[in-house]
Amino acid sequence: MKILIIEDDPETATYLQNGLWQHHHIVEHANNGRDGLFLAAGETYDLMIIDRMLPGLDGLSIVKTVRSAKILTPILFLTTLGGIDDRVDGLEAGADDYLVKPFAFAELLARINALARRPPMASTDTTLRVADLEVDLLRRTVTRAGRRVDLQPQEFKLLEYLMRKAGHIVTRTMLLENVWEFHFDPQTNVVETHISRLRSKVDRGFEGELIHTVRGSGYVLREPD
Amino acid sequence: MNLTRIIRTTGFRLAALYAALFGLSAVILFSAIYWITSDALRQQLAASVKREVAALKEEQRIGGTPRLTLAIERRIASRPNPTTYYLLVDPEGRTVAGNLPDVSPREGWQGIPLPQTHGGGVADPNEHHLVALGIALEDRSILLVGEDAFQIVEVQEAIVRAFGWALGVTALLAATGGIVLSIGFLRRIDAINRTSRAIVEGNLSDRIQTRGTGDELDRLAINLNEMLDRVQSLMDSLRQVSSDIAHDLRTPLSHLRQRLETARSKALKIEDYESAVEQSIAAVDSILLTFAALLRIAQIEAGTRKAAFSAVDLSDIFRSIAETYGAVAEDRGQSVAAAIDPGIRILGDRELLTQMLANLVENAIRHTPIGARIDILLNDRHPGPIGTVADDGAGIPADMREKVFRRFFRLEQSRSTPGSGLGLSLVAAVADIHGIAVTLLDNEPGLRVVLDFTNTSLGSAAATARHDRR
Repeated sequence: MKILIIEDDPETATYLQNGLWQHHHIVEHANNGRDGLFLAAGETYDLMIIDRMLPGLDGLSIVKTVRSAKILTPILFLTTLGGIDDRVDGLEAGADDYLVKPFAFAELLARINALARRPPMASTDTTLRVADLEVDLLRRTVTRAGRRVDLQPQEFKLLEYLMRKAGHIVTRTMLLENVWEFHFDPQTNVVETHISRLRSKVDRGFEGELIHTVRGSGYVLREPD
Repeated sequence: MNLTRIIRTTGFRLAALYAALFGLSAVILFSAIYWITSDALRQQLAASVKREVAALKEEQRIGGTPRLTLAIERRIASRPNPTTYYLLVDPEGRTVAGNLPDVSPREGWQGIPLPQTHGGGVADPNEHHLVALGIALEDRSILLVGEDAFQIVEVQEAIVRAFGWALGVTALLAATGGIVLSIGFLRRIDAINRTSRAIVEGNLSDRIQTRGTGDELDRLAINLNEMLDRVQSLMDSLRQVSSDIAHDLRTPLSHLRQRLETARSKALKIEDYESAVEQSIAAVDSILLTFAALLRIAQIEAGTRKAAFSAVDLSDIFRSIAETYGAVAEDRGQSVAAAIDPGIRILGDRELLTQMLANLVENAIRHTPIGARIDILLNDRHPGPIGTVADDGAGIPADMREKVFRRFFRLEQSRSTPGSGLGLSLVAAVADIHGIAVTLLDNEPGLRVVLDFTNTSLGSAAATARHDRR
């Protein structure tokens, strides 16, 4: 992927660049708001990672300008501004995701991958399918290998999210934010508990595991190897 | 208090402005009265003169000039102190009869100065003049009848005098009232200024005195006081956060440092280093979590979220939390029992309410042993919804119940379980900005946290409707 980083802190920028290079991404970097906007508006990228507090032009204005120019490239805010209002402001300005510094690189990578392969906005799919697992979003039913699987509402939401991101790692935080709408870190094993329950219903007794744990990163739902 | 300051106050200026406006309207009113009255009196006078002329003319018609002369003389004789004056002059200009000498009469209306000798003791000739009508008789002699117009002048003078008094008294009242008003006003403004100066100089707990009259200055003082309360509580909260960060993050940071130093001096194998790095990252993450929690509490306490409050389905939040943590508790060998009335909506912030309830339930899960039962209840009561999170664990001693809401406060027995000691502080902060009353009770055994949502309900109409439905 071709990724634009707009970040004024040299240490963070180098860390990002090196990390993304290792994962075979092409990275361009701007260290101030004006250059960043110039690149964002002039070149084509697969993804932009933008800091909020930048010299020259702040990140929020860059995103607003980019969006008003009808550039739909996925944008991820990477910022120290971690307040509730800050996140809402960032997403309302047109960013697709919001990650607060300090962050784990695995978390960033998972979010980048999730963003880059977002399903088209007007997704009219009513069924999601991975291998022999099928989720009917209208009837809210789940079947695996033709057999009906009964899920609790929250388990269904969890499975739906995993299915939508099938093949990509989703982190614990992404699950908390998107499935539970928890924007804080719970002190109990909320995600682990529910993943394990979902597994016991979806994977146990069937041929081949679909839900995999990726150590140090999160989970991925994909076809068995 | 000098005069310039008084004159420059709004109170005085307003009083002066009203006095000026009143004066202007009085001038207009009195002028109108003056003109209308004068005119009416003048017409009355003219009518009386006309009548007299007509009567005398009739005398002349009946009895000729001698009878007229007689009639005039009789009239003059009947009034020793005359207000009506007569003069009959023959065509040659000789006076035939009458009490008006030195006048050469002509036909038509005329004003004639009253002769001094006939003034009846009144010296001022300006006040006494005659409104007179002269007519030519058939024999070409001229008859003149005049009435003293002093009544008109008198009335006019009375009006002007009354006007003068009214204006004078008004001006005096306005000035006195203005000054009195201004002094009172200035005194209270000075009190506000003195308090403000005291606060600027560092005495932040000082407050403006109110009189309890509920007037605009009182309301201003009350609002300023509330503003000061708010500023003070924000400053306290800021101070608290700084000292919390300084003191309570020092311990985990020093632990981290010790761990890294141990690794540097003692680690022999690459695995030792790896494990030290892993542990250190975990320690840093935990410090960052505490840090984030502190900032979040401070942010919630600042109350900026209040502007974004909207209608929230409280039943939905309770249901999803009960479901989420039901599974978590079950994995730990505990059980969650939920009884949630549907369709309860309140005004608030969904994200914060979710976290508040999650913290309470997690608190119950983490501080109770295996086999414990946790109840999550939401009841649609009158006057407002009541939420309950209860467990049958060890509970909190009565004398500790207030303290658990403090930052970093942890009961001795819970020191063994990991946690920041910020969970209930956050609950308190969220409850506070929503106006939710949190009470900790003895569940006999265990802890019972009661959340009273009465103040968050969506207006009394909705609450009443809900109450009536049952």
